Formats: sequence, C-alpha cells, structure tokens
Amino acid sequence: MNSKARKVTGEQKPSLVSPIVAALSSLIIPGMGQALARSLRKGLVLFFSLASIIALWVWRVRITARLESTFFDAVKKSFYLDPILLVVAIGIVVIYLWNAYDAHITAKQERSPSGFVLWTLVLFTFFFTGWQIGDIRPLDLIRDAQDAGPNLQRILWPWERAISRPEELLVATVNVQIPCVDPPPSPSDEVPGEPYISVSPTCGDLSQQNGALGTTLKLVGHGFAPNAQTEIWWQDDMGNEFRQRQAGEYITLVTDENGAFELDVIIPYRIIPPSETRSFALWELQARQIASLGKPEASEELLLSIEKMIETIFLGMMATFFGIIFSIPISFLAARNLMSASWVTLVIYYLTRAVLNIVRSIEPIIYAVILVAVVGLGPFAGILALTIHSIASLGKMYSEAIESIDPGPIEAIQATGANWLQTVMFAVIPQVIPPFVSFTIYRWDINVRMSTILGLVGGGGIGFLLIQWIRLFDYKAAGIAVWFIAFTVAILDYVSAEIRARFV
Amino acid sequence: MLEIRHLTKIYDDGTVALRDVSFQVPDGEFLAVIGLSGSGKSTLLRCINRLVDPTEGEILWDGTDIAKLKGEDLRNVRRKIGMVFQQFNLVKRSSVITNVLAGRLGYSASWRSLVGRFSAEDQQRAWQALERMGITNQAHKRADELSGGQQQRVGIARALMQEPKMILADEPVASLDPVLAHSILQHLERLNKEDKITVLCSLHYLDLVQRYGTSVIGLRAGQLVYQGTRDDIRKMTDAEFKTIYGEEAVRIGEVTGGVTGGVGGKE
Repeated sequence: MNSKARKVTGEQKPSLVSPIVAALSSLIIPGMGQALARSLRKGLVLFFSLASIIALWVWRVRITARLESTFFDAVKKSFYLDPILLVVAIGIVVIYLWNAYDAHITAKQERSPSGFVLWTLVLFTFFFTGWQIGDIRPLDLIRDAQDAGPNLQRILWPWERAISRPEELLVATVNVQIPCVDPPPSPSDEVPGEPYISVSPTCGDLSQQNGALGTTLKLVGHGFAPNAQTEIWWQDDMGNEFRQRQAGEYITLVTDENGAFELDVIIPYRIIPPSETRSFALWELQARQIASLGKPEASEELLLSIEKMIETIFLGMMATFFGIIFSIPISFLAARNLMSASWVTLVIYYLTRAVLNIVRSIEPIIYAVILVAVVGLGPFAGILALTIHSIASLGKMYSEAIESIDPGPIEAIQATGANWLQTVMFAVIPQVIPPFVSFTIYRWDINVRMSTILGLVGGGGIGFLLIQWIRLFDYKAAGIAVWFIAFTVAILDYVSAEIRARFV
Repeated sequence: MLEIRHLTKIYDDGTVALRDVSFQVPDGEFLAVIGLSGSGKSTLLRCINRLVDPTEGEILWDGTDIAKLKGEDLRNVRRKIGMVFQQFNLVKRSSVITNVLAGRLGYSASWRSLVGRFSAEDQQRAWQALERMGITNQAHKRADELSGGQQQRVGIARALMQEPKMILADEPVASLDPVLAHSILQHLERLNKEDKITVLCSLHYLDLVQRYGTSVIGLRAGQLVYQGTRDDIRKMTDAEFKTIYGEEAVRIGEVTGGVTGGVGGKE
C-alpha cells in the first residue's frame, strides 16, 4: 500500500522543464527530455538503446559496402545491397522523432501509450538489426533445400555401406600372334566354371605410328560375372602390361546378364625395339573383371563404427569413473554445511567453489585440444578431458546433494547413542546415495554424448571416424556412425532415466 | 529423578535460549513443557541428551551430571534416553524396520551394525516395538510412504528400541491433526504408565497439556515462568496462561473448541 502510494506521487512529481523544451532537448540528445521530465531511468535506457542501434547500423553499413570510400556512398550502396539496412535506418529516424514526442508527453505528464510504442519500435529495430547481422536468408533456405537431399539421404539410410562382398579378380587370357606367321596359335582350353575368352583371328598386325589401324580381332567371352564392368588388357612377350585404348579412351565393357560379351579389338600401336630379331611375338590378350562375389559380410566401415562406438561408451565410462573418485572428496570441501565451522574451512569452501566453477565453465573439447598435444591422439586424451570436466561438474552436484541433506535424521540417530561412524552410515549415506547415483548416471550419459564430439579434435571415440568420413565426403560411412551415435545416446538416455527413477 | 540446575544456553550468535533454568522431574512423571516457539523448549530438551551443549549449569540424572559427559559415557547415557521429534526425523528412504533397528545402534557398537546387520534378539525386539505401535504391516515400506501419524509411531518405536528410562518428545504432535495428536500422546501416556518411562513432552495446545501432563513447566524467552502439578494445570487461568504465552495469546482450546471433546478415544 505504502510503496504504491509513493510510486503515484513519484509519477506526479512535476517536470523540470516545459513540454516543448523537453521535446527539443530530446532532439539534441535522445532521452534528455525524459530525464529532465524526471524520468531519468527511461531517458538513460532510451539514450543507450538508440546509441547502440545507431552504432550497430553504422558498423553494418561499413561492412556491407566496404569498398566505398565516403560514408554517404557506403550508405547508398548498402541500401541497394541489403534493403534491411534501409528498414533499420527508417526505424532509427522514427524512434528519434518519437523520442522527442515522448519527451513532450512525459513532461506534460499525460497518460498515453507513447512509451509502449517507443519500446516496441526499439525492439523491432533491434530485431531487424539482428536479422541483418545474422545474415538470415529464408528464401535461400527454401530455394536450395533440395541441395541437402542427396547427402541427407546417404546419412539417413547408409546401410548398403554396412555390407560388403569380398572382391575377386576374374581373368581370362588368350594368346595372339603378332604378326601372323604360320601356324597361328590355337585357342586356349576351356576350363568349366572359369571365365573364358577367344579371339578370331588369333593373329594380326600392330597399328602403325602413322595412324594405320592394326588388325581387328573379334573377342568373345563368357563365364564372367553378369552385368559387371570388364577391362581389356594386353601383356606383351616381355611381360609389360597395358590397357587397351580405342580412339584414345580406355575400353570398359559391361557383361550381359549371362556374364558373356562380344567386342572388336584393334591391335594397338607399340614400338618394336630395333634389336628385335624374332619373326613374331606372342602377346596375351586379357579380359579382367573385379567382381563382388561371395557371401555378404559386415563392411569395414560397419566394423570400425562398432569398435569405435564401444570405445566411446567406455571412454565415457572411464571418465565418469575417474570423475567420481576425485569429485567425492572435493564435494565435501565444497559443501557449505560441512565447511562453515570456522573461517579457515570457509575460505577452503569458497576457493573450491570458485575453482569448480571455472573448470566447469570450460568445454571439454578445449581440454581435449590441449591434452591431445600432451598425450597424443586417442581415447586417453578424451578420457582426461572428460575427467577434468566431470570432476568439476560432479563435485558441484555432489556438494549440493550434501548441502541439501536433512539434519533431522542425523540428530535422531545421534540421540540413540550411536557413534560417529554409525551416524554417517545410517543417517548421512542413505540420504546422499540416491542423488549421487542419479547425478553419476546422468554424468555418464553426458560423457558418452560429449565423447562423440571429442573425436573431432582427436580425442578418440567414434567422433574421430565421423569427422574423417565427412571430410572424405563419404556420407554413407558417416551415416553409419551417426546412426550408432543416435542409437547409443537413445538407449543410454532410456537406461539412465530408468535407473534414476528407481533410485530417487 | 532428573534435576536441572541453573541451566543456561547461549548460542554462538549470542542468542540466549535458556537462562538459569532449574526444575526437578521425579521418575515416572509426564512433564509437559509449554511456551511460545522460540521460548527455549527445544533447546531445553536437546540439552538433556546433549544434542545441544549447555553453556552453564548441571543436568543431574540419577546422580550423574549429563552436562559433563563425553564420548562413550555420553553415548551410554543417550541410549537410555529416547527422543521423539516434531518432524519425526526418520531416514526417509530407509525401510520402517531399518529405522526402528537404528534405535538399537547405541547397544551394538560392532562393525556388523554398520552394514545394517542386527542380532536376532534385536530384530525380535524391533518387531515387538512395531507391534506395540500397531504398524507391523508397514515394516518393509519406505518410511516416507507412511502417513504422518504412522511415521511418528515409527519414531516412538525407534525410541522404544533403546529401552529408555526417559523419553524426550519435542513437539511430537505439532505436525499432526488433532485426532492423530491424541493417538500419539496416548501411546506416550501408555509408555509412561505401563513402562514407568519418564516423559518430557513439549506441547502447544493447552487442552493436550491438561489431558496428558502430570506436571507442567512453562518457558518464556528462555526463563522458567511457570511450574505446576496436574491439578494446577486443570485450574489454570487465562492470566497464568498469558504469562507464559504473552499478552496476545488466546487459549487455543477455546478457539478450536472441540479438540478434546469426542476424539479422545479414537485410534
């Protein structure tokens, strides 16, 4: 009642200046009129809002049109480049004028919504400034949304990559006599179950350096893997292998559904050393196929993801474990109810609290970056980083659990004639264990989630794979890792919620 | 026989909770301690079993000065003094039977008690205590699953485990409704009459004091301002009541009227 009355009289305190003077002084310095009309706080807030909006606007104009030499040109150019800056400029002008009007109203001490309008304007201008600084472009988002499609698809359904068949090299060879000298070689023997090729004729001439084409051979093959890419290679009599080109391009053919093919091959050009004295050479024509045959098995990516996921879970677990060991004694030092006995203990309490807060406020990824330099890449760096953060975080949570225990049961157990140890076991531990368990499991949950991130800086775990695959644009492999992380986090979340529900 | 002589308690922050309090309690009494909150009732009761260390004065109990005891001697005296609290002070997450067995800790100093293992004899005693309080069917529930009245009965069962010669009850019914208040006080009364346990019980309602107390002391701002017998309480006038409770106080019994009437027999 009393305070309300005081507030009313405060509003009715007469203005120091007339409404016109207030309006004019607000035109010179925003908010000054309001201050003179005894609304000092309003004037100050208004002044600083307007000053900061103008400063931000000048900064953005400079940044948007940084090539213009004069400020006036920069303003023109920036309005053209980014019309939102124009909107902000209009907002500033309107606020400036409204500020004078508001000073007038304030000095007249009329009830009007002018203040409300003013603050709404300020808020909107800040909103548009934020829009400009944030480079928010919803149109781009809508127009180019489909660009995310292919990669998103690969990440969302990466499972083809989880299975692989062992690759097998299928080779069939046939001899070709160059040039034709009697008798030409006979076709090689066919072995059942193995790929087979034959040529006709089985001899011919090389292409010439002047462009004259060599003999065209009709190459027929069967017994290959169906619908699979096949390469044609030569091996000369000195053992040199080279791939068949036709019109400058490597030949790659695809077998039909029966694993057969037919192809005309022109014998390529090849320098014959002058020392060559033999009347003919026997070359080998090869059809090579890399076929994914055999039983499907887990791919390397899948196995790696599983391995690293297990590593991640244990990384989180070890960090939590070390965190518990160190944070329990620290938590006693950070519990006010235990440390308020004398000023010495109170100083220790404040110091512990301060250190815990500082350590806790630094993200584990920063510790990981530093520790990777110390202990090298791998899970140990991640464990150390998470341990440091866990100690601080658990230390604070445990100490708060200790602070919140009910002193009543302690008193009651003491009153039965129990000794100190019995009192701790019967009155303190039962009260402290449930929150400790709850916080610990929650922390494990956090640590596993964090450890997926720590891999990004080399702190071990699955994040290491994830960042590697993303940098290789292997989005399907990355997708497998993402799925594993999602599975693990979901399961862990569920398990920790269940356990906590049971203990608390 | 409990004899308090010149008991003074000044807390570290300078608060004078008790100032030169002296009185006697013969064995087998049901002493009601009355006074406003902050008048020193809780401090007085806690001085007797040394949950609070008195600044000055003597607490003679059968010739021993409790105020001077330390360590094991103090624990041995404490285990003969049961205590019942306003907020029951049970270990909420432990079972009822564990809470009751905790009352036996003063007798079983062995390591086995630390992990919650008690002798067969102690366990039998705990069941008897629960039976006496009529809550055997709640034995394996968590203490905080019980209603307020049931929790207080667990509190009394825990005190019984100590085989006490004296029970200190610090506003045992202030958190309970009138029906339950009578039930709890009747339990205490029975222990007082059947087991000859001296009971010191702080109470707020004058009606309850008149119904259960065999003698009464009144505290005001840490000083003893009233001392009377059962008959004195019955005849207590508003003027006397106001010397204890201060000028603003009214007789709660007159305001709430029916507290005593009709509910006394309910269990």
